[in-house]
Amino acid sequence: MNLALTVKYPVLGIDCMRLYEYQAKQLFSSHGIVVPGSVLVRSQNDVKEAVNKLGLPVILKSQVLAGGRGKAGAIRKADSAPEALTIFSELIEKPVQGEKPSAILVEEFREHVRETYLSISLNRSEHCFVLLVSGEGGVDVEAIGRKATFSLPDSVVDKKSVSKETMRIGLDEDSANSIANIAVKMGELSAKIEAELVEINPLAITADGNAIALDAKIIVDDNALFRHPEIASLRMPSNLEAESQKYGFNFVELDGNIAVIGNGAGLVLSTLDMLVENGGRPACFLDLGGGATEDVVFAALRVVSRFDKAKGILLNVFGGITRTPDVAKAIKDAFFNGLIRGPFHARILGVGEEDAFAILQNLPVFLHRNIDEAIQKLIADVQRIQ
Amino acid sequence: MLDYGTNIVAGVTPGKAGQSVNGVPVFNTMKDAATATSAGITVAFVPAQYLLGAALEAIEAGIHCLVIITEHVPIRDSLTIFRKAKENECIVIGPNTAGVIIPNKIKLGIMAASPFTKGSVAVFSRSGTLTYEIAYQLSNNGLGQSISLGVGGDPINCTSLVDCLEWVRNHKGTDAVVIIGEIGGDAEERLAKHILDTRFPKPIIAYIAGRHAPKEKKMGHAGAIIYGSYGTAESKIKAFDDVGVHVAKKPEEVPLLVDSALRR
Repeated sequence: MNLALTVKYPVLGIDCMRLYEYQAKQLFSSHGIVVPGSVLVRSQNDVKEAVNKLGLPVILKSQVLAGGRGKAGAIRKADSAPEALTIFSELIEKPVQGEKPSAILVEEFREHVRETYLSISLNRSEHCFVLLVSGEGGVDVEAIGRKATFSLPDSVVDKKSVSKETMRIGLDEDSANSIANIAVKMGELSAKIEAELVEINPLAITADGNAIALDAKIIVDDNALFRHPEIASLRMPSNLEAESQKYGFNFVELDGNIAVIGNGAGLVLSTLDMLVENGGRPACFLDLGGGATEDVVFAALRVVSRFDKAKGILLNVFGGITRTPDVAKAIKDAFFNGLIRGPFHARILGVGEEDAFAILQNLPVFLHRNIDEAIQKLIADVQRIQ
Repeated sequence: MLDYGTNIVAGVTPGKAGQSVNGVPVFNTMKDAATATSAGITVAFVPAQYLLGAALEAIEAGIHCLVIITEHVPIRDSLTIFRKAKENECIVIGPNTAGVIIPNKIKLGIMAASPFTKGSVAVFSRSGTLTYEIAYQLSNNGLGQSISLGVGGDPINCTSLVDCLEWVRNHKGTDAVVIIGEIGGDAEERLAKHILDTRFPKPIIAYIAGRHAPKEKKMGHAGAIIYGSYGTAESKIKAFDDVGVHVAKKPEEVPLLVDSALRR
């Protein structure tokens, strides 16, 4: 095992593809949605130049994908260049929900009289996208009071009706027109890049009734990326993500010490629930997907082996289009290659199970008929070695 | 599917007309296949990039039930298929489903047949392997299935859990319903409301996967994601509890709850 491969991954798992604020704002800007002037700063040496360019005061915003940046103190205002430098140095080192930023967005401060909210998101059950407008921005979307919603069956935003409804929820005509203008552009952008969510919270209204996007959140449909190479290139997948994409399994990092592996998202979720309810702590969620071959299972075990915090492995496989003897062969190979060191408890059921058991004979894999039993034995084993 | 006894009359692959696979003739287009065979049901295995065209072709060819196995279908493609299907009164199941099985009768999909036995419990699910697991538990306890159907693991399910429930409301061969849900979206919450509003007459048992899943992470399925408090397992379990649907804590508990509901 090559220790150089043991990397700490900043953002693990197949997330929804969420763009960084600065990336989303570049897209906004190129589609006619006004955003504050800004400079993306990666090094202390560039802070002063950014401040000179933008003028004081400036807002410094940590570029992480995690939510709740405001509450976490990752968005701060600076009134002087030295203050900006101090704040930059703090923010660049400060993780937000475990995620360290690689850059800070330094932005000009824009005076405004009101903060509003605008989003286009998917309504799964109604089978359409929905535009949501509210006169109250800067708060959690769940806390929004008066709002207007519009179904967008063909993704087209009707400017007149948005303007009219926005006035009905208490905004003046100028503001309503500005918001409606932004909503139309947002609809075009959302359709063009096939976004799952485009959100501006807050959308600021200036004294002269203009609308400026102070924040920008875009989640694109990662299944549509094959049609959008320009968006796909914005993503910087970690080694692990790239590897899991290549083999077609799904990996999500969690806080605990037991790797949970299985075939099928629902089955792995269910196994994870049972582990937690038995007092165990999952280190990761690893769904091998449907019809995983020997290579895929081996690659998955290799990923787990590099994942230092996983002290034990819990495997739950129900054979169908995934053949259990293939799973067993991959486990055997992983043992012979030194990829499995801690306790390994498994429950294997379904197509070919007898052959799978035979392959795993004489290996330190504990096979169980019952998943609860596998979980309890594994938790005990992991406690013993720690 | 052939082995299970499904009457497959045609395959469609562009450029392969005239060939045959396991005795089943292959056609170039859905229209040719539908005209030559009067088939009513299609199962699509087409890769995600080409699925939209294939699905629309099937709908235009007059197919009245389309099962989409394909995973990773773009959301907007699914929405287009949904609308087109609705206009043409075509039932679309999926995308990203293992399919439908009516034990001992027909299999439309890729599920393992062994966990399923004939009986009177309808199983409607958002998950594939977990459905085998629960069908296996049911079968082991003498509770066979009248139908088992996966609505799909994607954000868009062209057939909803509510649609499924309506199919078995008056079905004489179905005495109880098992719903297998998971985190993400509000399909379970809507189903709970529907059960209450329409006074669904048969016992329903549910299981929800993902009680301990983190937020804002796609957990294997594109549709299994929690945003804020939207899509959590707690919300779904509460919705079911509120309308008297018993929620099993683990798959093994499902047959016990079904059994006691049927005895009542």
